[in-house]
Amino acid sequence: MLHERELKVFVEGTTRFFEVAAQQPASIGSPYLMEEPLALHEYSGLIEVSGRREGVVCFTAPKTMLAVMLMKMHETDFGHETMRDLVGEVANTISGNARRDFGNEFRISPPRVLWGDTPPIDPRPGARTFVIPIHWRSHSAKLVVALC
Amino acid sequence: MSLAARFDRRPVVLIVIGALLAAALGTALVSGFRLATRLREDIAAVQAASALQAYPRELVREVSGLRERLEVRAYAGRALTTLRDSTRDFNERLQALAALDHDPARLASVQQRWRGYRAALAPVLEFRGEPYVDSDAASTRLSADGRGLYASLEHARLYALANAHGFDADLAAVTGDLQASASAAATRLRLLLQGGVLAALVLAAIAAWLLLSRARHERAAQEARERTRDILRTVREGFFLLDAEHRIGSVWSDALTQMFGREDFAGLGFRELLAGFVPETTIATALKYVDLLWGDRANENLMKTINPLSQLEVHSPDPLRREPRYLQFDFHRVTGAQGVKYVLCSVVDVTANVALARELQESQQGADAQLEMLIGMTRTDPLQLASFLDTADAGLKLVNAILRSPARSDADFRGKLAGLMRELHALKGEASALDLSGVADRLHALETRVSGCESRATLSGDDFLPIVAKLDELVAYLRGIREIAARLALTEHAAPASATDAIAPILEAAAARIALEHHKMLRVECNGFDAIPQSLAKALKDCLVQLVRNAAVHGIEDPELRRTRAKGDVGVVSARFARTADGYELTVEDDGAGIAPDEVKAVAVRRGLITEAQAAAMDTRAAIALIFRAGFSTAGEVSLGAGRGVGMDVVARTVRALGGRIGVATMPGKYTRFKIHVPTGGKDAAAAA
Amino acid sequence: MNAAVDSTLKLLIVDDSTLIRRRVERSQRFDRLRLVGSAADGVEALALFSRTDPDVVTMDLTMPQMDGIECIRRMVALKPSVRILVISALADKATAIEAMASGANGFLNKPFTERQLNEALAELLR
Repeated sequence: MLHERELKVFVEGTTRFFEVAAQQPASIGSPYLMEEPLALHEYSGLIEVSGRREGVVCFTAPKTMLAVMLMKMHETDFGHETMRDLVGEVANTISGNARRDFGNEFRISPPRVLWGDTPPIDPRPGARTFVIPIHWRSHSAKLVVALC
Repeated sequence: MSLAARFDRRPVVLIVIGALLAAALGTALVSGFRLATRLREDIAAVQAASALQAYPRELVREVSGLRERLEVRAYAGRALTTLRDSTRDFNERLQALAALDHDPARLASVQQRWRGYRAALAPVLEFRGEPYVDSDAASTRLSADGRGLYASLEHARLYALANAHGFDADLAAVTGDLQASASAAATRLRLLLQGGVLAALVLAAIAAWLLLSRARHERAAQEARERTRDILRTVREGFFLLDAEHRIGSVWSDALTQMFGREDFAGLGFRELLAGFVPETTIATALKYVDLLWGDRANENLMKTINPLSQLEVHSPDPLRREPRYLQFDFHRVTGAQGVKYVLCSVVDVTANVALARELQESQQGADAQLEMLIGMTRTDPLQLASFLDTADAGLKLVNAILRSPARSDADFRGKLAGLMRELHALKGEASALDLSGVADRLHALETRVSGCESRATLSGDDFLPIVAKLDELVAYLRGIREIAARLALTEHAAPASATDAIAPILEAAAARIALEHHKMLRVECNGFDAIPQSLAKALKDCLVQLVRNAAVHGIEDPELRRTRAKGDVGVVSARFARTADGYELTVEDDGAGIAPDEVKAVAVRRGLITEAQAAAMDTRAAIALIFRAGFSTAGEVSLGAGRGVGMDVVARTVRALGGRIGVATMPGKYTRFKIHVPTGGKDAAAAA
Repeated sequence: MNAAVDSTLKLLIVDDSTLIRRRVERSQRFDRLRLVGSAADGVEALALFSRTDPDVVTMDLTMPQMDGIECIRRMVALKPSVRILVISALADKATAIEAMASGANGFLNKPFTERQLNEALAELLR
């Protein structure tokens, strides 16, 4: 059973990135449970969790949002490479946050980045999947937490 | 700094003063000794001088005596010897005095005179002959020598007589002088002695003061040591110092004993301290961290943030003490002139804080959830259970759908609350009707979370995180029930059964529960349910549960009241389903208290649904319609059985969703009748859900 | 550390993210630093290290090929006077301590603001 505390750690890792790196706090939208396959945005940063919990945590964001984030970070290059790095860094932050707060309870893989036409992710059998919309300025991304 | 300097300087000053005084005292003693010697000599000289004073007259007397003896021709030998002795005595004494006297000038005149005397006396004293000549027995005459002697004597006598006065005076002067000198020396000696005594007293005083102040210092130091000891004994934090080799110093607080279960820590290694309590990897990290403290590579802030022992889970090696404890270590560099001197480490047991945090977290879980689930299920009819699980799945899907609709503003989030409450409440009613208390409790907790949001100033996604976590928990719980039910084959043969078959038992169970809780007696009569089409079963079941609960809670009076109204003790709730020309009709009627429009208005005003003025202007029909408004409930307290003002709201909403309409007929003290009309070909139940 | 006006310090950036590399390059402290190379993994970093002999290194910890800790250890062995700033999202203390114990001089957590980066670099160059 995923605790509220654990959910919060992942959410905080995400919002922290926006607040610190993109200099503007993000708010979270109405969270819900994933029941049907969820379409990913153009870029997704993914970490795999094992140990006390098993599963994945994924941050997925549209290109437009990433571009504005880069702008706020004084970046001038909005190329594919930079976008990839950016979602990778967000995932990195989520993973760092989780490692700090959970210590040895969790083992967390280095982030993996998906982009382009990725198939929708399916609800993992046996794992409950939370979808937490992340709103930043006028844009929205999603944090998907699928752990059991 | 200044304090320390004062403490260091004072004894030095005292020692210097003491040394000076001792030197002065030594000088005084030496010169005192000299003075005393001098005084003794002076006194001896005075004695010698005064003894000398008798001699001049004595010599005159002896010389005269000798002369007279010669005149009478008496024996002169003895007298001569006496004179010789006296002269020798005087001479010796004078020499002794000269030896004693420190002022050679003083005796000069006396010695001058004495030389004159000696010259005058010399012929007498050197006389060796026979003074008399015996001619016959009768007459004795002076011999030639005798005459010479006599002349010498006369000369000496005359010289002595002539000089006696001067000699006396000289000797007296010498004596007086010597006396004065002696008395001056005596005075000096006295003064010196007094000074010496004074110096000795001062020295003694200083010594005493030094000793006292030292004793005081020692006492102060002792007290300080005791206080430190007291602090270390009573303080609840563990304190110790670590040296560069990770060894604990000689000072530590007793709290460590409690924390680590040993008495002596002096010289103990940090590794040994932790060994057995924490894993080896943690110890290795901790030692690396302490090493970093000794270096200057990282500043204090960075060091603080990477302290690996800020909340250390400690397992006692003692197998009886199973519970882990949590210790918080803090490290501080203690620096001196040569950099870090040692590392001060403080340890606090934060187990209570951690335990509290964990407890808050885990209290919501319920360790015996499985057992409770099992018990709830065994009491439930398998058919009803299966039906409920389907309903719950659908209901929670709806709840999740409400959550899923995008929301950014407070209004967006607030808009979800009513819908969430409605769905959760409906499910809760059914769960408690089936006596599935585990489910009902969880729904209640979730509902409480949702209703708690209403009073919050601004709502955001953060407020919904606990809701979705709780929802997830509930979904998992229901899945657990389903799995167990499948394993126990509780639902397997029930699977093909129609949903409508389960409705009547659900209503009966719900009514029975409410009767028990509210000390009422009632009976549910169901008619025509088998005619309910499957497509409407779910929606109508929701309505029926709400309506029957409403009738049981608000309609049926307790037996006493019923008797005063000339009714039977047992209240009757009758539910009928029937096909009509253009659709279906569901009627739920009770022979209870009816609906009092004024009461409904009053409640609605109290709930803030309408104003007083609106209430006054309202007719009976409009008043009774208020019971379908969201937020209306005539049940006072919030409990699992009675509503939060969402019960009738659910019914009205469901009926509207089916494209139907609902009517109420009531007579105070007699009955209440709800009539639901659903057209055939109206929207189906799926759409309603 | 004494940096004369004419002698800037040679900087090597090790991070698999170009985003981070460019953020470091944009730091205000860069007036005292001269970029001599950037590497995306540990093996490449060590090769560049031997070739360019940098005075200052910023180092990511989670990289392909060779992990950052090992990389730090080898760099310090090659040049004990090198000053290394670890920039990592790994926020757990054991990692930070391990990095410092291996010879790093500072630790900056990702994500970071420009101010945090400037401060960390200033502390490193002090």
